[in-house]
Amino acid sequence: MSQRHEILRTEGLTKRFGRVTAVADLDLCVYEREVFSFLGPNGSGKSTTVGMILGLIRPTSGRALVFGADMASRPWPALKRVGAVIESPAFYPYLSGRDNLRVLATMLGDIPASRIDEMIELVGLADRARDPYKTYSLGMKQRLGIASTLVRDPELVILDEPTNGLDPAGTREVRELIPRLAREGRTVFLCSHLLHEVQQVSDRVAIVKSGRLIAQGTVDELLGRGHYLRLRAPDDAELTRALGAIPWVTRVQHVDGYVRVEAPVGRAAELNRTLAAQGVYVSELSPWETDLENVFLELTGEEAP
Amino acid sequence: MTRLVAVEFFKLRKRMMTWVVSALLVGLVILMYSILWSVSGRVTTFGEEQQFTAEELRRALFLQTAVPFSLQVVALFGAVLAVILAAGAVGSEYSWGTIRVVATAASGRMQLMLAKLIVLAAFIAAGALLAVAVGVAYSSIITWANGGTVLDFVTRAFVRDQFYAYCRTLLVIAPYVSMAFAAAVIGRSTLAGVGAGIGFAFIEPLVSGLMRLASDPWQDIPNYLLNANTQVVLLENDLPEVVRLGPSNRELAERDLNSPEVATLILVGYIVAFLAAALITYRRRDMTAGS
Repeated sequence: MSQRHEILRTEGLTKRFGRVTAVADLDLCVYEREVFSFLGPNGSGKSTTVGMILGLIRPTSGRALVFGADMASRPWPALKRVGAVIESPAFYPYLSGRDNLRVLATMLGDIPASRIDEMIELVGLADRARDPYKTYSLGMKQRLGIASTLVRDPELVILDEPTNGLDPAGTREVRELIPRLAREGRTVFLCSHLLHEVQQVSDRVAIVKSGRLIAQGTVDELLGRGHYLRLRAPDDAELTRALGAIPWVTRVQHVDGYVRVEAPVGRAAELNRTLAAQGVYVSELSPWETDLENVFLELTGEEAP
Repeated sequence: MTRLVAVEFFKLRKRMMTWVVSALLVGLVILMYSILWSVSGRVTTFGEEQQFTAEELRRALFLQTAVPFSLQVVALFGAVLAVILAAGAVGSEYSWGTIRVVATAASGRMQLMLAKLIVLAAFIAAGALLAVAVGVAYSSIITWANGGTVLDFVTRAFVRDQFYAYCRTLLVIAPYVSMAFAAAVIGRSTLAGVGAGIGFAFIEPLVSGLMRLASDPWQDIPNYLLNANTQVVLLENDLPEVVRLGPSNRELAERDLNSPEVATLILVGYIVAFLAAALITYRRRDMTAGS
């Protein structure tokens, strides 16, 4: 990972609105060609963070660096390489989808008309491209939002809830699009409520709560894959006591009718032998499988976002 | 910058509001001419402080005064429409959320606002020209119908005076437009801009009237506000008093108004102040969604 280039970095990023601290001392690092998901409950400071990353909101302290440029002081060189949909797609309601993309392309410059058509085709809006944006459904607006991020052929794509309003087929298309963007050499910074989708497409994840970073790492790291075992025995109390006596077994917890422990999955057989030697016979012993939603709930202590 | 101006031009040209506002302005010019022409055929004399004859009124509608007359309509009603256009051009960006999109696509915040101002100024100038063109056309018909088609009054000096009148009219509209623009940026909404621009235009004369009744220092304050100075500048347009809306010559003489030069400077000062407020606010403030 150390050889990969940093595309985005935040250093002690903090934003206060009056007495409310929206983002506190946030350190993030996003590498090239990865899908990085940024998760948190509503009001946890995700959109404020994205605003600071795009130079729209000035940090109270700390800084956001995109392609090495400080976004508070000199955002433009970096912004040319970034495509973003912030919170929800925003376009001119009286202009058609095509004209909205044309406005964006003209502002950015050096974008051929063929690229606009290509993007409209990509998001499946060719039939409605000449209709006013105000007549679009929520799903169509979301598709146009994705087209607007890609029209500039960005190296960094920031997608804030890209599947909002999409039907299952559209959601699947977006889910397939995200890893494809990474394969094409782009970096994706994704904010999403759909933790199942995030788990499927992300390389690394950061979780924030009340503006503070509470976890950051690869999906496997966050899920604790290879680091947790679950056990069941006729006598839970006896099992817990025996586990407590093994020095390389830590974090003994009762979860969903099982005893969960932090221990290398590769030492499962050794653990079984050790317990049997103490007269504790387990009826079940397997790697602990969890998903991002459970991890999220556990870390944030809230409902899924 | 050229790209941003092109985009702003495209957006304003495609917007229905632009065409509605233009149609209203044209309609108002036609309406004013029609009403006054109708009045001139029904009365022999009119006026309270000063008696005017129907002939004087009729002559004021002839081609010779078509430009200042049309510009009077622009200064009175066009200013209101320009305020709506200016406030809408920036306020709608906040209500639609597009302000954040264009901010990440434009090559700088200042450039974006400057492009908006350039295009607004161009549209307002074009609107005023349209009103003048319609006024000249209608006045030509009135003049021709009364056998007065001789165009020997059109000299180089006359054309120059008409051009100056056009510039003066744009100057008196500009502070209200700038105020609306600034209020829309600061209030992040069209309503804030329209409210400030139109509200001030209507309330200021009332408050100024009360101030003039009071003693010093209140008495002199209206001379440094917008309304009194716009009237001073517009007086230079040389519109016959019979068709001039607003205070009479005698009333204006009693007010000890500023000279045209001072009035111009004061108006320019307001324009600069309002635009600076808008640009500084937009440049420094966090870009969050509007109201």
